Amino acid sequence: MRRLSLRGAAALLIFIVVAVTPYCRRKTARVETVEEDNTQLASVIQANDAKASLQLLKGFYEIEQGAWRWTKGQFSVTLKTPPQAGVKGAMLELALTVPEPVLQRTQTTTISAVVNGAALEPETFSKPGQYIYKRPVPASALQAEAVTIDFSLDKFLAAGVVEERELGVIVSSAGLLAQ
Amino acid sequence: MTRERTLAAAAWALPWLVCLAVYWPGLLAWFQQDDFAWLGLTMEIHSQQDFWRALFEPRAQGTIRPWSERAYFMGMYTLFGLDALPFRALVFATQLLNLFLLARFVQRLTGSLLTAGCAGLFWTVNPSLGGPMSWSSSYNQVMCTAFLLGALVLFQRYLETGRGGYYWAQMAVFVLGFGALEINIVYPAVAALVALVSKPRKAWATLPMFGISGVYFLLHSAMAAKPTTGPYARHYDASMLSTLWHYVYQSFGFNNLAELNLPPWLTQAASAMPYVLGAALLGFTFLMVWRRQWIALLPAGWFLCLIGPVLPLKDHLTDYYLVMPSIGLGLWMALAFHWGWRRGIWMRALVMAMAVTYVGAAATSGRTVARYNYDRSERARQLVMGVARARELHPGKTILLQGVGTELFWAAVNDQPFRLNGSNDVHLTPGSEEHIEAHPELGDVTAFVFPSGATLRALQGNKAVVYTLDQGRLRNITRSYRAVAATQLKDELARRIDAGHPAYAGQLGAGWEPITERYRWMGKRADAFLGGPRKDGEKLYLAGFCAAILLAKGPLHLTVRVDGVAFAPSKIEKPDGAFELIYPLPAGLAGKEKIHVEMELDRTYVPPEDGRELGLVFGSLAIR
Repeated sequence: MRRLSLRGAAALLIFIVVAVTPYCRRKTARVETVEEDNTQLASVIQANDAKASLQLLKGFYEIEQGAWRWTKGQFSVTLKTPPQAGVKGAMLELALTVPEPVLQRTQTTTISAVVNGAALEPETFSKPGQYIYKRPVPASALQAEAVTIDFSLDKFLAAGVVEERELGVIVSSAGLLAQ
Repeated sequence: MTRERTLAAAAWALPWLVCLAVYWPGLLAWFQQDDFAWLGLTMEIHSQQDFWRALFEPRAQGTIRPWSERAYFMGMYTLFGLDALPFRALVFATQLLNLFLLARFVQRLTGSLLTAGCAGLFWTVNPSLGGPMSWSSSYNQVMCTAFLLGALVLFQRYLETGRGGYYWAQMAVFVLGFGALEINIVYPAVAALVALVSKPRKAWATLPMFGISGVYFLLHSAMAAKPTTGPYARHYDASMLSTLWHYVYQSFGFNNLAELNLPPWLTQAASAMPYVLGAALLGFTFLMVWRRQWIALLPAGWFLCLIGPVLPLKDHLTDYYLVMPSIGLGLWMALAFHWGWRRGIWMRALVMAMAVTYVGAAATSGRTVARYNYDRSERARQLVMGVARARELHPGKTILLQGVGTELFWAAVNDQPFRLNGSNDVHLTPGSEEHIEAHPELGDVTAFVFPSGATLRALQGNKAVVYTLDQGRLRNITRSYRAVAATQLKDELARRIDAGHPAYAGQLGAGWEPITERYRWMGKRADAFLGGPRKDGEKLYLAGFCAAILLAKGPLHLTVRVDGVAFAPSKIEKPDGAFELIYPLPAGLAGKEKIHVEMELDRTYVPPEDGRELGLVFGSLAIR
C-alpha cells in the first residue's frame, strides 16, 4: 500500500501558499474617509437609516432586519425644527409597533413625551400592533434650531425578563412635521 | 497513475481542498478583538528584558503561550505590520500541515487510505475550526494541533521501528508544544492510548511523558495565577458532566444551523442529528469492542482526553475548545464509515447518507462562522484604517467616533487598535455607552467615552473632529454633531479623568507635573475634581503606574480623601508595574456636581537632574 508522500505534500503546500498570496493581497495601507461634512440634521428620521443614528440620542438598540429598532423604557431623539415651527408649532409623529410579547406581560403600556420641558398628552396601548403616536408641539418649545424629545413608557420589559436587554417598543420613524 | 497512488493523493488533497473551500473567507479576514492587544505587545518592548517578559510573562487568564500568541503576533507584526494576509496564510499553512499529519497518523494506525482521507475530511469541516480558521487570536489551537499530531506521528514511528531517534524527536516536539497551548499537557494520555491500541507492550514508553506533564503542571501552577471568579474560574463539581454533554452535542455542529434561518422542520431535524449520529457511533463502537477491535475505543478516549481540561470552565463555553477533541470525532466517523463502506450496498448507502449529512451541515456551519469573522474583521479594518486616515488629515485634534454599536466596539475599539497606527487621541462621543452592551469581563466601555463638557469645549475650540462609520467608510459629521451636541450635552465635570489628556486639565488641581507623552506625574500631593457618582454604591477607581525607584525603601502608601473624608492608606508594592486602587464612596455623594479628590503619598523621588518631586504616574481617576 502506498504511503502518503511527505515531499509531495510539502511541495503542494508551498505551491498553494505561494500561488494564492499575491492574488489575495488587499490594500490595508489606507482607507479614505469622506470629509465633505454635508450631513444636516433631519426633521424626520427613519430608524433604519444608519446616518440617523446621530439623532437617536439614547435608549435605542441597533437596527434589526434592516428596518427598525427596539427601544428601552426611555428613549430620546433630536430632531431639526421644521420651518416656521417656532411660530406655528409642529406635529410630532412617532411610528411604533407595540409587540405582543410586551403586552402579554404588561397588559398596557402608555407612552409620553416631553419636548423642551413641554409635556405632550400621553397615549395608552392595550393591543399589539402598529401605531402612530401623533401630538401637536407648541411653538414655545420649538424656538431652537433642533430639539430633543424624551419619550418614556410607563410599562416595559425589564432586562432579563424575555432577553438580556430592556425592551420597550419598536420604532420605525420619528419626525416633526410643519403645521 | 495507479489507483493506489490516486487514493494516496486524494487522502490528503481532498481534505486540503475542502478546508480551503470552506474557510476561504478566513484567509482574507483582517484583525479583530484580542488580535489588537497581541499586536500591541510589540509596542511594549523597549529593551531585551521587555522582550523576554513579553514572550514569557503570564498574560490573560494566566496563559503562557510564547509561540502561538506572543512570537506569532510580535514576529508577524514586525515583518508585515497590519497586513493580515501573511498572518492568515500561516494559519492555513499550519492547518494543511495538520491535515497531512492526521492522514499519515490514521493511515499508519489503520492501514487504510480511505479512513485516513475521511478522518481529515470529517475533522476539517467540523465547525469548531471556523473560529481558528478566521480569527488569528485562535491560532494557538491550530498550532498546538500541529505539535500534538507531529509528536504522535513520530511516536508511531518509534512504536513501529523501535528507533530511539524517533522517540527523542517526539519528546522534543511534545515539549515544544507547551509553548503553543496548555492543553498539550494531555499528550501523554493520547500517546498512551495510541500505544495501547497498536503496540500495548510499548505503552510504558509514555511514562516519562507523564512526568514531563506533571512538572509542567507544577511550574504553570506556580507561575500563572488561576482566576477564582469570572468566566475562567474552575468548578470541579457535577457541572462538569453537563459541560461535557454540551461539548459532545456541540461537536457535531448541527446546532449552529439555527442561525441560518432555515425552515422550522429542517432546524428540528438538524437538532436531532447529533443523537442519530451519536447513537450510530456508539453502536459501531460496541460492535467493534465485542469483536475485540480495541482501536474503536481510541476516538472516544481522544475526545475525552482533550476536552477534559476545559470541563471545569462551565462559564466559558466556546466552540474552539473543540478543535482538538473533534479530531477524535473525525477519526470515529472515519472508522465507522470505512467499516460500513465494506458491508454491502445498503450499509454503504446508509453511511454515505450520514457522512453527506454531517459534512454538508458541518461545512455550512463552519463557513458561516468564517464568514461572520470575515465580515466583523472587515468592519474593524474600515474603522481602524479610517481613523488612521482621519489622523493624517487632522493631526493634533481629538477624534470622536459616533454611532459605534456593540459589535463594532468589542471587535474594534476595546483592544485599542488605533495606537497601532499612532492614533492615540481617539474616543467615543458622549452617550455612546447607551448603545453598547456592557461586558465587564471584557472591558469598561465608559473608559472610552469622551465626557460631555470636554466634548463641548473641544468642538467649540475646533480641537475635535467627529466621524461615523457609514457604508464602509468613515464620514466626517463634525458640523451636524455640533448641532446635536448643542441641544443635548451639558458642560459638566467628567466622572472619568484621563490625567494625560489636555482636555481634562481643567479638572486637575494642584500638585501635577506637565503631561509626559500620555501620562502625568503627581507630586507628593495632588488634587482632582470629578463629577459626583450617579447613584449610591459607586466607587472611585485610581489607575496608574509606580516606578521601581519609589519602592526602593519599601512599599509606598497613598492616602486618599474624597470631599474631606479620608480612606485608610493604600499600599503599593509592585515595582515598575500598573496599579489600580478602588475606594467605595461614602453615601450622600450621589448627584453632586463636583467632588474633590485629594491624594497624598508618604514618599516621593527627586531626580537629581531637575529637582522635581515625583510620585505616582497617572493614569486615570474615575467614578463608576
